[in-house]
Amino acid sequence: MQLAVNIVVLASIYALIACGYVLIYRTSRVLNLAHGELMMVTAYLLLTTASLFSGHPVTAVAAAALLGLVVGVAVYVVLMRKMTGERVLAAVLATVALGILLRGVVVLVWSAQQQYPAQALGWTNVALPLPGGAQVSAAAAALVLTTAVVYAGLFAFLRFTRWGIRMRAAGQNPLLAAQRGIRLHAVFALAWGLATFTGGLAGMLIALDSGLEQTMVVIGLKAFPAALVGGLDSLVGALAGALVVAAAEVLLIHYVNPLLADVVPFLVLIAMLMIRPWGLFGTREELDRV
Amino acid sequence: MNRALALTTLAACLAAGQPAFGQDAYVVGLSGALTGPAAATYAPVIEAMRAYIDHVNGKGGVNGKPIRLIVTDNQGEPSRAAADAKKLLGDKVLILLNSSLSSTYAPMIAESKRAGVPLFYAGAVCPKETYPPADPLQFCSTAFGAQYDSQFAMGFVKEVSKETPRVGFAAMAIPISRGEIDYAEGLAKQMGMTPVDKQIIPPPTPDYTPFATRLKDANPNWVYSWAPWVTQVRTFEALRRLGWKGDFIAYAHIQAEEELERIKDPGLYVFGTNAFFQDDLPVHAEIRAATHRAKLNYPITQLTEGFIAGMVLEAALRGTSWPPTPQKVLASMNNLKVDTKGLRGGPIEWTKDNHFRTRQYYRVYRWDLTKNAAVRVKDWTALDVR
Repeated sequence: MQLAVNIVVLASIYALIACGYVLIYRTSRVLNLAHGELMMVTAYLLLTTASLFSGHPVTAVAAAALLGLVVGVAVYVVLMRKMTGERVLAAVLATVALGILLRGVVVLVWSAQQQYPAQALGWTNVALPLPGGAQVSAAAAALVLTTAVVYAGLFAFLRFTRWGIRMRAAGQNPLLAAQRGIRLHAVFALAWGLATFTGGLAGMLIALDSGLEQTMVVIGLKAFPAALVGGLDSLVGALAGALVVAAAEVLLIHYVNPLLADVVPFLVLIAMLMIRPWGLFGTREELDRV
Repeated sequence: MNRALALTTLAACLAAGQPAFGQDAYVVGLSGALTGPAAATYAPVIEAMRAYIDHVNGKGGVNGKPIRLIVTDNQGEPSRAAADAKKLLGDKVLILLNSSLSSTYAPMIAESKRAGVPLFYAGAVCPKETYPPADPLQFCSTAFGAQYDSQFAMGFVKEVSKETPRVGFAAMAIPISRGEIDYAEGLAKQMGMTPVDKQIIPPPTPDYTPFATRLKDANPNWVYSWAPWVTQVRTFEALRRLGWKGDFIAYAHIQAEEELERIKDPGLYVFGTNAFFQDDLPVHAEIRAATHRAKLNYPITQLTEGFIAGMVLEAALRGTSWPPTPQKVLASMNNLKVDTKGLRGGPIEWTKDNHFRTRQYYRVYRWDLTKNAAVRVKDWTALDVR
């Protein structure tokens, strides 16, 4: 039972991070390699909101997540908008540069030391008993719940709301969408904002569970194979990819060798690239275009 | 006239390939992980050392000359460390300092050997080359030392256990940590303990529970971890969240004192060689004052290691007559004794053959729920370094 819980928690972490990669890619065809850094910045923003709303964890998390959304929109408006019309590679390199900049900013503003937002919020991350003798921390349980709510919300947003339909249209055929009066820059900015918002939620909940420091950037990158395995333009794929990668990782740690944890996501990715290069739920056409 | 003279002097310095400051200061260069994934461990050490040097310079410097510390950020990456070392040697530094991951050592060692400039590990784990018989150019003041740490920790576990210890091990997937845990596992067997499981955990791990689950399933009554603090503490907390009730012993890195207070778990033992601030020694007041002046935003409890490195550096330069050369500094470092004023259990002594220390002193702390404070479980215990 504990193994199943571990798989669900890890899959939720990867899924919540991976949906940010997918949102930006399916809307603007840009691989955001600064996603881990943006996630980390939002998690650090929680430290700031924690000092403002000490004793009110939900308010502090909500405020930091909203700030994350604003940061994502700002990144698009200030930096990525300028890359419109440039080669995709140039935009990807811009995200790499952005990542380096953000890492420096984090050290300057919050220092390099290990931080504990839960402590700042006066919140205790208790262990919750589950059937079958399994245990899960409160933060991990919140993470699983948040992932479920975020994915349900995103599916509803993309399917039923005007801005969601615009976002899908911009992703499928930007030229036609623009000709129909959709403001592409607004749609792209929203995608960046939502991606940073969801990534930030993951970052904050990981930080509440086990602390916060600069290795969070690498955790952001570890979720990238999950997005690729599922198909980079599919939210369902991100969910499935996260589950496949997490299951492989947890089971190999437990039954084979813990050292494999680092390489498992990439082994799964290589296997997927050999069998079905466009991912479990990705579009073959998209791969050709890439 | 004066301006013309100054310009001429500056031009002469540049022509000689020496920076102008080289004339009036002891110039030392540090390559460290100020940013990057390992920064939490190394940045406070570097900043504390910088504060200490400012403190020394404020009191008139060494032998009437200031110390100039040039700091470069290698982010824990070997390629950057190599570039830093080349740049620093170009600046004619007297000593190269490393405060970073062990993966950055090789390129700095190569540059140090090429230039004949001593390499001083300050806050970075001491490589075996600093133990007797020491490499002529490598020196180390850092608290933790491979093998000696595990000898002490395993001895302590055996000493305090009422039944035969069943020991689980946790390391970070970096060579130095894995090697030490392998060594400790062998040592535990030799000492009659039962090793039950060993987890080698990759540095960027989003969830430690899968590793802790396997460790817990092996049913250890002790777990020993010798790794960067993040791996040690996250493994411990994951074990506790799974309901594991055993005892955990880990190395007391710079974060240990405040972390014991955060976690408040009497089953978490930390052993180390630096005195906690709860001792409130006169030298602790000095550290407080120096770091207050430098306006550092790290907890005071994390700054001892950098302060000690600064004390050692000051002593090495004090034994170097003016004008300084790397050879003179090397001679001074080969015959060094630094009074740590109670920050360690004894002095740091370097000889021609021993660039680590002649005796390594350990203490063990844990949290006491009744006193609501960290308490010493075992006071200074010395191991001879041979």
